[in-house]
Amino acid sequence: MKRRKQNTFIFWLFLSPVLFAFVVVIVIPFFLGIFYSFTNWSSSARADSVLTFIGLKNFYRIFRDPSFLYSFLITIIYTFLNVISINVVALVLAVVVTTKLKLRNLYRVGFFIPNLIGGLVLGYVWQFIFNNAIPAIGKAIPLLAGFANANNLILGKVDSSIVALVLVGTWQYAGYIMMIYIAAIEGVPESLIEAATIDGANSFQRFTSITIPMVAQAFTITTFLTLVQSFKQFDINVSLTAGGPSTMFMGKPIFGTELLSLNIYNTAFVANNLAEGQAKAVIFFIVLVIVSIIQVTVNKKKEVEM
Amino acid sequence: MAKVELKGIGKVYDGNVRAVDNANIVVEDKEFLVLVGPSGCGKSTTLRMIAGLEDISEGELLIDGKVVNNVPPKDRDIAMVFQNYALYPHMTVYDNMAFGLKIRKFSKEEIVKRVNEAAKILDIEELLDRKPKALSGGQRQRVAVGRAIVRQPKVFLFDEPLSNLDAKLRVQMRAEISSLHNRLKATMIYVTHDQVEAMTMADKIVVLKDGVIQQIGSPLDLYNKPANKFVAGFIGSPPMNFMQVTATEENGKVFIDEGTFKMEVPGGEYLKSYVGKNLIFGIRPEDISYVPEAIPHKTMNAHVTVVEPLGAEIHVYLYTGKHQFIARVAPDINIAVDQKLNFTVDFSKAVFFDGETELVINK
Repeated sequence: MKRRKQNTFIFWLFLSPVLFAFVVVIVIPFFLGIFYSFTNWSSSARADSVLTFIGLKNFYRIFRDPSFLYSFLITIIYTFLNVISINVVALVLAVVVTTKLKLRNLYRVGFFIPNLIGGLVLGYVWQFIFNNAIPAIGKAIPLLAGFANANNLILGKVDSSIVALVLVGTWQYAGYIMMIYIAAIEGVPESLIEAATIDGANSFQRFTSITIPMVAQAFTITTFLTLVQSFKQFDINVSLTAGGPSTMFMGKPIFGTELLSLNIYNTAFVANNLAEGQAKAVIFFIVLVIVSIIQVTVNKKKEVEM
Repeated sequence: MAKVELKGIGKVYDGNVRAVDNANIVVEDKEFLVLVGPSGCGKSTTLRMIAGLEDISEGELLIDGKVVNNVPPKDRDIAMVFQNYALYPHMTVYDNMAFGLKIRKFSKEEIVKRVNEAAKILDIEELLDRKPKALSGGQRQRVAVGRAIVRQPKVFLFDEPLSNLDAKLRVQMRAEISSLHNRLKATMIYVTHDQVEAMTMADKIVVLKDGVIQQIGSPLDLYNKPANKFVAGFIGSPPMNFMQVTATEENGKVFIDEGTFKMEVPGGEYLKSYVGKNLIFGIRPEDISYVPEAIPHKTMNAHVTVVEPLGAEIHVYLYTGKHQFIARVAPDINIAVDQKLNFTVDFSKAVFFDGETELVINK
């Protein structure tokens, strides 16, 4: 009996540091944030001095805020493009580096490295490439002279800026997702591929009929990771475009590439509308949970049990 | 249907690891050939070269007289049953069997017809809608065989297909594959490490060791006329007994001297050139018989260490003082551990091997 008590004590003792951190950093701010979304908290000064409960007013306001609706829209577009782009690129890379290629381990490391560089740094590096390197190439090569024209800057237009965000997002994340696909592809029993070879399938048919269904389990996790990651995209957004260029939406001038996270950040910390930012974050959280649950449920059904 | 010929086939992996050396095998049309040998003897590698799953390093492989070294597996018109069945886990039994036909663009009616036929032969008709996960080992085995037979290939390849089954099922499937062979009249090449499977199923057996063919022949040929000590010891269960002996000659008669006993070899003139040399004396357990009384130069005396009554016969483990050996005796003889008994040997069945080369000494 005494021993059991002691074990329980040790269990909680060892758990307490992480539990403490989790509660302080995640649980309390989460519920506090939900609470603040119903208030008029508007500055980072002492909140209790001016705090009044205003019910659903913040939510009412954000659904009429063109910048929020616009951010929602382009976040969905960005997420859609980014999830497809990352997964296609990652799967192709994984297939390439699981063949009998020489130096394949080197390629694996190479493709993974962008993931080790912070998103902020990547964003600035790519901003330099889009704003300076590509126009310089345009100047040097007559055939590509169009790139030198300031009107054709990739980050100068909304459409191409979003494509640029997808490109850099893929650059950053595809190597990571590739690792998951590599593990999945290498988990496909060699004999299945051999059986399909003898059955007469060519390499493309083997890939579509055997490899793809067999790695369906990986699709659940990779889609989930890329979906959430794209939805929450912040660092690349800040450093690459900072929300620009501007555009018009519902008759109001707004940032053309301001994804949801950046929109929340700007509302809360630039416009100092902390409570409204919090309300947006709550909506953001709910949407993310719903989307993730649907996605995982759908993908789970496609998994193969051995 | 098809004749398969291996001419000087060899396999060298990078790093100069030699898996198969100079294999010359002819598999006649409709023949059931078994490649048998211990683990790592190169039997699976040989089969995989025939399938086209491994490149052939040396020699020529012919199917129906055509060199197919560089023909991809799908164009060799072969089907293979894998050790772990290799069923596609995401497909139903029906789709598993139909996959090869779909890939080869058979008409839908033809696919349905062939799959149903095969399912009937293998008695798996009620399983067609199931996924492999929901099948027992024996059922998976049948599906794997079914996937091969719907293709109606020239040659069937089996890579240790029964080794994942329990003993009872293995005996049953062994018989079923044999009867399938009779029914389909197809050329079959079968790899196993189990000499009982080889003996019971094969028209012709190839015994391999360390990548080198030791002997090719019918099951009874291998059993009665082994080419060397390895084949003699590999084929047969319990295995042949071996004893190190010296040949001696007295008054024109040849004797073998084991150290603890000396026996006359009737008709042993062919051993005269080995007099004074070391020989390996091989005798199968069933060719040793118990005798109540010792007879000089006709019997050996041995100590009983283990008795295994199997019902129909008794396996007696014996020790001469220098060598262990096993005798199969009739179940009506009363034998107990620690007895010292006399045994005689049927020298017409005995084989002798050169002490150095371990090759058989021909009579």
